[in-house]
Amino acid sequence: MQAELDSVPKKSTKSKKASSAGLWKTIVVNRYLYLMLLPCLIFFVIFSYLPMAGLVMAFKEFRFNAGMFGGPWVGLRYFKLFFSYPDATQLILNTFIVGFLKIIVYFPFPILLALMLNEVRSKRFKSITQTISYLPYFLSWVVVAAFTNKILAPDDGIFNQFMAALGGDGSIFYMMDGHYFYLIMFLTYLWKNIGWGSIIYLASMAGIDPTLYEAAEMDGASKWRKIWHITLPSIRPTIAILFILDIGSLLTTGYEQNYLLRTAGNSDYSDILDTYVLRVGMMQGQYGYGAAVGLLQGLVGLILVVVTNYLVKRFSKNEASLW
Amino acid sequence: MDKAVGNAPLNERIAIVINYMLLVVLCLVILMPLVNILALSLNDGKDASLGGIAFWPRVFSVSNYIEVFKNPAVLQGMEVTLFRTIIGTFLSVLLTSMAAFALKNKNLPGVGIASIFIVFTMLFNGGIIPYFMVLKMFNLNNTIWVYIIPTLYSAWNLILVRTFFQSIDQSMEESAKIDGAHDFQVLFRIYIPLSMPVLSVICLFNGVMHWNDWFSGAFYVTDEKLRPLQTILQQMLTAAEAMRKNLSMNAMMSAGNSVTTESMKMAMVMISVVPIATVYPFIQKYFVQGIMVGSVKG
Repeated sequence: MQAELDSVPKKSTKSKKASSAGLWKTIVVNRYLYLMLLPCLIFFVIFSYLPMAGLVMAFKEFRFNAGMFGGPWVGLRYFKLFFSYPDATQLILNTFIVGFLKIIVYFPFPILLALMLNEVRSKRFKSITQTISYLPYFLSWVVVAAFTNKILAPDDGIFNQFMAALGGDGSIFYMMDGHYFYLIMFLTYLWKNIGWGSIIYLASMAGIDPTLYEAAEMDGASKWRKIWHITLPSIRPTIAILFILDIGSLLTTGYEQNYLLRTAGNSDYSDILDTYVLRVGMMQGQYGYGAAVGLLQGLVGLILVVVTNYLVKRFSKNEASLW
Repeated sequence: MDKAVGNAPLNERIAIVINYMLLVVLCLVILMPLVNILALSLNDGKDASLGGIAFWPRVFSVSNYIEVFKNPAVLQGMEVTLFRTIIGTFLSVLLTSMAAFALKNKNLPGVGIASIFIVFTMLFNGGIIPYFMVLKMFNLNNTIWVYIIPTLYSAWNLILVRTFFQSIDQSMEESAKIDGAHDFQVLFRIYIPLSMPVLSVICLFNGVMHWNDWFSGAFYVTDEKLRPLQTILQQMLTAAEAMRKNLSMNAMMSAGNSVTTESMKMAMVMISVVPIATVYPFIQKYFVQGIMVGSVKG
């Protein structure tokens, strides 16, 4: 904390514009601004950077009386332990499948919805559709999991009853059968997020210069060509930025959803690194081991963001980049 | 419908109709589960367990709701949820506006570094275990403050508000300062009143986050009195497999009571959905304005 209090004046001395006397004067003049910022910086030191420093736990044996930074060093013991764990491959595979579904497969759907909404001319219809489609985003995963369990329940669930009415099997316990897990997971994720995900693209489409469309119409362009040659290229930077931001969470997408939709019957498919860390770390108290697995996830995420950002920057000729 | 449809070629007119139809289907798919659960929550519990309830209750009854509101644990949970939602959201919006007001001044020494310092937390974090250790270190676990203090700021909200502030005309601030106003006055008299769209949006984000958070209650708190509504619901849900038989038997055996655990659960789900579903449409009109300004490349 102390380091951060010092860092504002210390680091800013690097700016060559201000002499140190002038700098001091700027700080005094703007003291209220610094006062407003201070709690925020302290907050991030405590709740973001201290846990990052706490990742040394991954290399130390945890002792309750020694806290996060105490305990003797154990080197890479926890990492070796994780990779020699027979189910580790399955966990990693599941994590990638879940991340792939939620980030890559899901990605075009909100864009598609935004394109569809953008073509709607009736303002009233558009606003009603938007209100309805954003709603699930604001429901908790607990509620969505409760819905899912109830609707897919064997026998009395509405889905099974519908299937039975069509002459199918009405007694399938979908939540207990692992084969349905990824489908259920993907559809509930889509249900919850598609509307909200489309807002940012819609907003980006609203910013497109209307004269572009008018010019295209003069040239006799069809609706499809206008979408393909004007709308999509115009929102390309938005698409790229969102993709870069999303890709970082490839390995950390789902503790809530997977934890809540996990049952004894589907755990071979639903167990991912997030839920594993919760189970062994938080519930069984193997803190050092849990921190080690968490560190692996975080590092992969960071590498993915940096690499994707580099690639996008390169292929888009600096049109879109996080930094 | 409009003139563009009238003179468009046939295949485009068909596409427009299909587009409307698909959007209607999407809305129905989104609403159907909600209506199904609402119907179940308003149906007699024992009758509902026979199945066959789709979008309208068969034996109408509000006893599920009455039973939920009679339950002391649930009432306690509502108290916790209301407290954290109101206090937590208020403090968070206040502190976020203050910090964003400082961060909007790109030329102020240290602000550039502070922004990078904040944005980096979006890309990397220590993970749940060290985070939990920090909560323990500051004795936050097992207190009500574990819900409020660690959620005061978020990098995303800070960027959103900062960018909105940056879009406000600077000349008002300058003339207020010439008249002798200090930064707090400028923030509260000029910036906050002009930033209602973005502040409503982060108010909603924060409120919804507090209202929906089951995780902190499940993992950072062991005191049953501190469990928020969502955690109680989550524990009912996960324990359901094991408890289903016992509890529904108990519920059914108590004479004249046709409320089952399942039907009670549906009522609880609805209780946790209704406040959000009623509040959010009023703020929705600000979404595009609030998010657009702040979002891309903040």
